[in-house]
Amino acid sequence: MSDFLFVSAALFALGVYGVLTRRSAILIFMSVELMLGAANLALVAFARAYGSLEAQTVGLLVIALAAAEVAVGLGLVVAVFRMRSSTAVDDLSELRG
Amino acid sequence: MSAFDFIATVLLLFTGFIAVRSQNAVHAALGLAANFVVLGTVYMSLDARFLGWVQIIVYAGAIMVLFIFVVMLLFAARAEVGVDPLPWLKNWGAAVAAVFFATLTYALSAAKAPLAGTTAAALLGGGTAKAVGSVLWGTWLYAVLLVAALLLVATVAAVVLVHPDQGQSRAEREASRGGKA
Repeated sequence: MSDFLFVSAALFALGVYGVLTRRSAILIFMSVELMLGAANLALVAFARAYGSLEAQTVGLLVIALAAAEVAVGLGLVVAVFRMRSSTAVDDLSELRG
Repeated sequence: MSAFDFIATVLLLFTGFIAVRSQNAVHAALGLAANFVVLGTVYMSLDARFLGWVQIIVYAGAIMVLFIFVVMLLFAARAEVGVDPLPWLKNWGAAVAAVFFATLTYALSAAKAPLAGTTAAALLGGGTAKAVGSVLWGTWLYAVLLVAALLLVATVAAVVLVHPDQGQSRAEREASRGGKA
C-alpha cells in the first residue's frame, strides 16, 4: 500500500491540531483546508492502489466543493469582522448564558 | 520509498507544520500554498496528472490568493488575536491530534494493496484529462451538474455576505440614501 496514505494521516492530524489550537477564524479555516487536502491525498493514493478512476473523479469534485466552501467561509469571516472588528472566534459569545 | 517520495513527505509535513504553527497568518498561508503545490506533484506521481494540475491551479492559485486577500483586507496577519481563555488546552490539542494520528495509522496498517502496482497503473490510464473526463461526464454527470449549481450559489452567497447593505430592508436603504443626498 502506498506510503502516502500515512502521510495523508499525518497531514490530517496536523489539521486537527491546527483547528483545536488556533483562535483566529481565518487560521482555523486554513487548517480545515489542510485536512481537505489530506483527505484528497488519501483518495488519490487509494485510486492508485485500486486502479480506480472514480476515486480521482471524486477528488476533483472535492476540490470544486472546497472552492465553494472557501468563498462562503471567507465571506462569513468578512461579515463577522464588519460587526465585531475581530477575527477571534472567542469573541463570538453573544449566545453565552 | 523513492527519493521523490521521501523529499515530498518531508516537504509536506514541514509546510503543513508551518501552516498550523506559524504566528504570522501570511507565513501560514504561504506554507499552506507550498503544501498544496507539493501535494499537486504527489498527485502527478500517483498517476493523477489532471488532478495534480487542477490542485495547483485551484488550490495554490485561486483559494490561497483568496485567503491572503482576506488576511490583507482584515489586517489579520497576527495569529494571536483576542485573549486565550484556556491556555492549557493547547497541549491537549496536540495530544488529541497525536491520538488521532495513531488511530488512523493503526487503521491503515491493516490495508493491503489489492492489485499489483503495474495493473493498477494500467487501469488509471495516467489520470489524464481524457481518462478522468470520460468518467466525469459519464457516471458522475449529475454530480458535476450539482457541484456547478453549488458553486454558483456559493458565489452569489459570498457576494451577498460581504455586501455593505446586508440586513437592511429596502426602505431603510432608500432612507439612508435619501439622507445622504
